[in-house]
Amino acid sequence: MTNQQRVKKTIHWLLTVLVIVYLLTGFGITEFRIVEPLTFGLLTKSLAQKIHINLEIPFIVLLVLHIWLLPLLKRFKLKH
Amino acid sequence: MTRRGILLAVFSLILVAALVFWGNMACNETNELAPAEIREYEGVDLSSINDFRENSIKGPQEIDVESYTLRITGLVTNSTSYTYDEVLDKYEHYKKVVTLDCVEGWSVKILWEGLLVRDLLAEAEPLANAKVVIFHAYDGYTTSLPIDYVMDNDILMAYKMNDVVLPPARGFPFQLVAESKWGYKWIKWITEIELSDDANYRGYWESRGYSNSADLDESFFGG
Repeated sequence: MTNQQRVKKTIHWLLTVLVIVYLLTGFGITEFRIVEPLTFGLLTKSLAQKIHINLEIPFIVLLVLHIWLLPLLKRFKLKH
Repeated sequence: MTRRGILLAVFSLILVAALVFWGNMACNETNELAPAEIREYEGVDLSSINDFRENSIKGPQEIDVESYTLRITGLVTNSTSYTYDEVLDKYEHYKKVVTLDCVEGWSVKILWEGLLVRDLLAEAEPLANAKVVIFHAYDGYTTSLPIDYVMDNDILMAYKMNDVVLPPARGFPFQLVAESKWGYKWIKWITEIELSDDANYRGYWESRGYSNSADLDESFFGG
């Protein structure tokens, strides 16, 4: 596996995990009456909201990397 | 789990989220609560009663107006209990356009009509050591505000919104209009107003990580 593939895979995995957590915490805010008992009180509304808000920037960064990293790397490689 | 399985799980989650969102939208469209509401007041465009998101701790409450009582208790000279009609008849009514900002990110601008909490408290005569006003709701929800905030500002306890009587889902018979505070201070279905000297008292959401001051110009976490 090349470094490029390793980076690509890592970003894909991180983005997948982040999307799942982002969705779950979103539900944790708006559907707290369901999510809180389902998680045995672990994911409270306030905790879900803290996590959700703090994931906004990492989500955007990973999404941008996911979309643009490979084309940029390829272009870089082609030039050199 | 294979990569295909993970992708399938993610798409399933997105699909569920979309269905829930669509379901909520559909509910909002069909549950017309008050078609006679006004949407403009003295040149100000108002939100609709249907623009609220239902996010109470136990869902909408149905209160029987015949058996309803509002109690003023705690550190007061005259502990009192009023029926719904007594509250409406005894105190002067006021109207005010105030925006409710929810920590979930939505807001609604509504014309509220009600009586001043400070008028209610004045009648009960708070004792000198009363520091906090604790509001109790029919569903067990509680929240508190400093007595100075309640006495020094025109804080309404509303019985009408956009010129119609509060629907049960919006807090009938009374909702607090906690101006300049985050939405979780706007307690619905008020049944009791208690005066206390416990400055460390925390209401339902406040004891679960939300700010006790709940000032709109500050973060709603901590404090």
